Amino acid sequence: MTLFHEMYGAYFRIAARVLDAAPLTDRQVNEIVAAEGFRDSVLFVPQKLLPQADGSDWGLLRRNPDGTLAAVTKHKPVMPLTLLQKRWLKARLSDPKMQLFFDDETFAALTDALADVSPLWQPELFRYTDRFSDGDPFTEPAYRAHFRALLHAIRTKAIVQIRFQTGGGRRIAMQYLPLAIEYSRKNDKFRLYCRSVRGNRLAGSGIINLGRIEQVTETGRHYDGEISLTEYFQMRRNRTHVTVRVTTERNAVERFLMEFASYEKHTERDAETGTLTVKLYYDKQDETELLIQLLSFGPVLEILGPPDFRAQAAERVLRQYELLGLNKEEQDAP
Amino acid sequence: MAGFSELIKTFEKTRDYIRDFFIYGCKARGEFVRKSSRTYDDEKRRAESWLGDVIRYDDSMHGRQVSISVDSGHIPENPLYQAYGAKSFTDNDIRLHFLLLDLLADGRPQNLRTLTDRLSTEYAAVFDEQTVRNKLREYTAEGLLTSEIQGKTAYYRIVPETAAKLLAEYPGLDEAVRFYSEDEEFGVIGAQILRSTGLRNDIFYRKHHYIVHTLEDAVLPEFLAAAAEKRRVCFRTFSAKAQRRPDSEGGSFEVVPMQILASVQTGRRYLAAYIPEQKRFHAFRLDFIRNVKRSVPEPDYDRLAEVYHRNLAHVFGVSFGMRRDLGAVEPVILTITLNEHTEGYIRERLEREKRIGSLEKAGEGLYTLTVDAFDPNEVMHWSKTLIGRIVSVEGGTKQMRGRFYYDICRMRNMYGGDADDAVS
Repeated sequence: MTLFHEMYGAYFRIAARVLDAAPLTDRQVNEIVAAEGFRDSVLFVPQKLLPQADGSDWGLLRRNPDGTLAAVTKHKPVMPLTLLQKRWLKARLSDPKMQLFFDDETFAALTDALADVSPLWQPELFRYTDRFSDGDPFTEPAYRAHFRALLHAIRTKAIVQIRFQTGGGRRIAMQYLPLAIEYSRKNDKFRLYCRSVRGNRLAGSGIINLGRIEQVTETGRHYDGEISLTEYFQMRRNRTHVTVRVTTERNAVERFLMEFASYEKHTERDAETGTLTVKLYYDKQDETELLIQLLSFGPVLEILGPPDFRAQAAERVLRQYELLGLNKEEQDAP
Repeated sequence: MAGFSELIKTFEKTRDYIRDFFIYGCKARGEFVRKSSRTYDDEKRRAESWLGDVIRYDDSMHGRQVSISVDSGHIPENPLYQAYGAKSFTDNDIRLHFLLLDLLADGRPQNLRTLTDRLSTEYAAVFDEQTVRNKLREYTAEGLLTSEIQGKTAYYRIVPETAAKLLAEYPGLDEAVRFYSEDEEFGVIGAQILRSTGLRNDIFYRKHHYIVHTLEDAVLPEFLAAAAEKRRVCFRTFSAKAQRRPDSEGGSFEVVPMQILASVQTGRRYLAAYIPEQKRFHAFRLDFIRNVKRSVPEPDYDRLAEVYHRNLAHVFGVSFGMRRDLGAVEPVILTITLNEHTEGYIRERLEREKRIGSLEKAGEGLYTLTVDAFDPNEVMHWSKTLIGRIVSVEGGTKQMRGRFYYDICRMRNMYGGDADDAVS
C-alpha cells in the first residue's frame, strides 16, 4: 500500500479520461493531456497514447478507418477505491469536524460501511503543540446546523440572514451571500467568506467566525449573477505591506522562511551576506497577529516599514524595556 | 533538455528539491552542492512546472536573488500534490492496468491463466504469466482486487466500490473529501479521490496553511505504522548543515516512535521518539529525515509510551530538554501586566496559548504564568509575543534570563531613540 504509486498519477488519469472519451480525435487527446497533465505533458504523453508504427505507444488506442481513435478496451475505465483511500476515509471519521458534513443517520451509515477498515492513523499519534485551546464546538448541534446551512447556501447561491456577535460584542443581523469557508488549524476555527447583500446587489465583503453565529435563516432568495472569489480576495486585500529585514543569526532566515511560507511575499536575498529583505502582504484585520509574530523573532528581525507599523513595534519594545528596568549588568551580552 | 522526464522514480530526492525551491525560493544552483547541475536543471524544471502559479524566482539580478510567492490561503488546491502524480512506470504497467481492469470489469472472478490468455487473444497483448501474476498480486495488496482460492487456484475479482459510488451514496461525503483534501496530513489522498471522480475543491480555504508539509506524507506512514505496531524505526537525518556538505551521510538512528509533533505556528513538524542508545526522548525534524524503515518490535513499548506521556506535561513545544547540559531547571514565572477593564482579550489570549503553563491573578492588572518546562528557552521564545507586557521573568536558568534581557536591549537600540532612521 503506497501513496507514491503511478495509478494515482497524472498520466494514468489522462489515459483514463482519454479511454472514457473515446472515440475521439488527435486534437481531443491533446486537449485532455493539456487539461489533466503537467505543464510539459503535451511534449511527452500524446506520442505514448497515439498508435505508433514501431509499437512504442502504450497500446491503449487504435486508429479507425475514418482517422478517429478508438479504445482497445471494451468498458469505460473503472478505478476501484483503493485500500489506502478507504483507510484515509476511516481515519477522518474520528475527527470531530467530519460530523459537520452529515446528518446523524448518514454519518452512522458511513461509519458502518467502513467498520472493517483499519484507519491509516490514530488521531492520538498527532499532537499540535501550539494550537489555541479555544477551538470551535464542532460537535454541538447548533454549530453543525449552521455549518450545513451555510454549505447548502454556498452550493445553491442562496441569500441568507445571519445573526452573529462581533468580536466587540455587538449583535448584527444582515443578509449575506455565503461564498466559501476557511479553516485555520492554528485557531481551530472556521470562518465564512461572504458578501453582504443590499436589495438585489452585492455590497461589501465580510468574514464571519462560525463560532459567533447565532442563527442562519433562509430568505428564499437566490443570487443569479457570477460569483468571483478572486474579486472577493481583491476586496479583502490590504494593499499595504510590511517590510522586514532578517539576518542569518540564530538560523533566522530558515525559521522565517518556514514560518512565513504561507504568506504572499516578495523576498530579496543579498547573495553576499545572506540577509533577507522581505515585503509581506497581509489582511488588515490580521495586523496585530502579524506584529506579535514578527516581534517574536527578537533582534534577528527588524521591521523596516511602513512607518506606522514600525512605530507600533517600537512602542511595544520601548514599553517592554521600561517595564524591565534593566541595570547595566543585565543589559550586557550573556 | 534531452532525456528529461516529467516523472520521477523515487520521491525522496525530489522532495528535497521542491522543499528548497518552495521554502528558499531564492536558492541558487551553486547552493545545491549535493547534486550535479543536470539534476538541478531537471528538478528546477519540475518545480517550476508544479509551482509556476505559486512562486517565481529570479536569481539573475546582480548580487541579489529574488522570489515572489502568493498567499497559500488563497489557493483551493495544494499545487505540491502534483509531485505525487509524477511516479514513473513502464509501458507494461500502464497497459496491464487498463487491460486487466477491463477484463475484470464485469465483476466475474478469473484466474491467472484465463487472464493471461485473454490479454493475448482479445487485445493482442502478450505477457508472460509471471508479469501478470505480479501485477495481480500488487493490485490485490493495494486493494483494487480481491483474491480467493478455489481448489488450488487463485481467482481475482475487481473491488466493486468506486469513489464515485461512495460519494453518491453518502450525501455530504463529497464536501467532506473536498475539505480534508487540503489537510496537512495526507490531504493528497483526498485530492486523489476528488480527481478520480472529476471533482475539485472549490470552496474550502485554509489560513495558516503550510502546503509544504505534504512532501512529508511520503515518510509519515512508516512512522505511524511502526508506532501502531510498537516497533522501532531506522532512518537517517540530515540537518540543514549536513545538507550543505556533499559527502555527508547524515546521522543514523534507531528509535522508538511515539508521536508526530506539529507546530501550527512555525510550520515545523517533528517525530518524537525514544533513543534507546542515549536513553532519552528527542524530537527529530521531519523534513530532515530520509530512508525510513520499520525495524524490530520494541518489547518495552508500553512502558516507554507511559513515560513519554508523563514527560509531555513538561514539554512546552517539542523539546525534551538537555538536562545534562542545563542542569536542574526551575519553572519559568512570567509576570504580565494588562488593563482589567479594556484588555480582557489579553487574559483570554494567555488562557488559550499557555499550553502546559498555569495562569494566576497576582494583583490588579497583574497575572503570573508559571511554566515548568524541560526547556525554558521554548517558553522564552514564545514570551516575545508578549513584548510590551512582561513585568518580570523569574526562574528558568540565568543564561536564559540573560539572553532575554540582552535581546530586549538590542531591540530597544534597533527601534528606539532619534537614531530610528530605518523607516522606508
